[in-house]
Amino acid sequence: MLLHGAFRGFAGGARDVTLDASTIREALDALVQAHPTLAERLRDERGTLRPHLALFINQDDARLLGWEDAPLHDGDIVHVIPALSGG
Amino acid sequence: MAKKVALLVGTKKGLFILRGDAGRGSWACDGPEFAPAEIHHAAYDPRDGSIFAAVNQTWGGSRVEVSRDMGKTWKTTKNPAFPEGTERTFSKTWHIEPGHEKTPNVVWAGTEPAALFKSEDRGETWSIVKSLDDQPSRAKWVPGFGGMGLHSIAIDAQDPKKMQVGISVGGVYTTTDGGTTWAQDNKIDGAPSERPDVFYCIHKLLAHPEKSGVRFMRVHEEVYWRDPGETTWRFSTTGLPSNFGFAAAIHPRDTSTAYCIPLDGRQRTASPFGIGVYRTRDKGKTWDRLDKGLPEGAPLESVREGMHNDRLDPIGLYFGTANGDVWASTNEGESWKRIAQYLPYVTSVHAATVD
Repeated sequence: MLLHGAFRGFAGGARDVTLDASTIREALDALVQAHPTLAERLRDERGTLRPHLALFINQDDARLLGWEDAPLHDGDIVHVIPALSGG
Repeated sequence: MAKKVALLVGTKKGLFILRGDAGRGSWACDGPEFAPAEIHHAAYDPRDGSIFAAVNQTWGGSRVEVSRDMGKTWKTTKNPAFPEGTERTFSKTWHIEPGHEKTPNVVWAGTEPAALFKSEDRGETWSIVKSLDDQPSRAKWVPGFGGMGLHSIAIDAQDPKKMQVGISVGGVYTTTDGGTTWAQDNKIDGAPSERPDVFYCIHKLLAHPEKSGVRFMRVHEEVYWRDPGETTWRFSTTGLPSNFGFAAAIHPRDTSTAYCIPLDGRQRTASPFGIGVYRTRDKGKTWDRLDKGLPEGAPLESVREGMHNDRLDPIGLYFGTANGDVWASTNEGESWKRIAQYLPYVTSVHAATVD
């Protein structure tokens, strides 16, 4: 997983994490295991992913692939991005 | 050692710290920290020197940060969290109030959705005060223009078990047993009309830091005073140029003096009368305008947490404005000097009196 923008700061400056996961949900759980400070930055107290969070699998928006259930394959890169919004 | 003042200035784009010299005449500005997050409020804890910052943003969610070294380093605390069984989730922190000196590990936080959270470990973790959350009258609370927040936490000077909270729009609740039980506390004395039992939109409720029982309250369209032993809020608005306003301060030693910044109720700025601080020295019976040094007629705006005072003698008063100015008075409001400008929209000012 590749952390972008503010999420690197929330993870103590970490840029990337290599982990085993078959879905986005498993990947996020493993990411939090590796960097517990990300837990409340990614999800609220009900476990809902926070708004303004974009997840991409390689070049593809995970929302179009099943969001947390989106499947992952060997070598995939999951990008964790603070979504650009506003204007 | 002579004490100095550090101003914690929350803005819509981060936290700034203005550090004054011994005479409060020149100020060095550090920051911003946490930009572009909005800092709804930041508070200094005189018991141990901690600084708490309410960091509110959508990226990564809102959080409370704490510094134990006057802003050099920061640590993210465990979020205030609503318990299972409710659909509400923590959205933002409106106010952080260090506890009484007799309860050295206690810190309070008011949040949106409106709730009171208590920390018993100097702000590392937070638990909801369920007894307040379970009040049947909570069903009557509704959001004000800025949301539905618990923003005022007024702890009695002598007894930490006695405190009030103020909610927009939900009125005042009082506890006399440290938060085990609460009672609505909205009875008024002298207001032009009756108020519903959730009162009105409380804008700021302050406890005198040295005199038990003294309170000053800025409500949407009135200000109120309460003396020791009283159980009603005494209407104290006559003499102000408008009913409306947010920013308020209470003199930390004099038990009859308080300050507020009136705004026009429609425009929400100091137009048409111009920015000015109003002072009462007789518990709200009369008000004096203090504007020497302030820009004449300027339609500035200062919001809920926009004014605070230090603890020196004479006290320093400080207020921030929506156009990014911070103004200071080192003679209890008699004259004013701009000590910062071109900051982002100032959302809070808190004066830390430090060694």
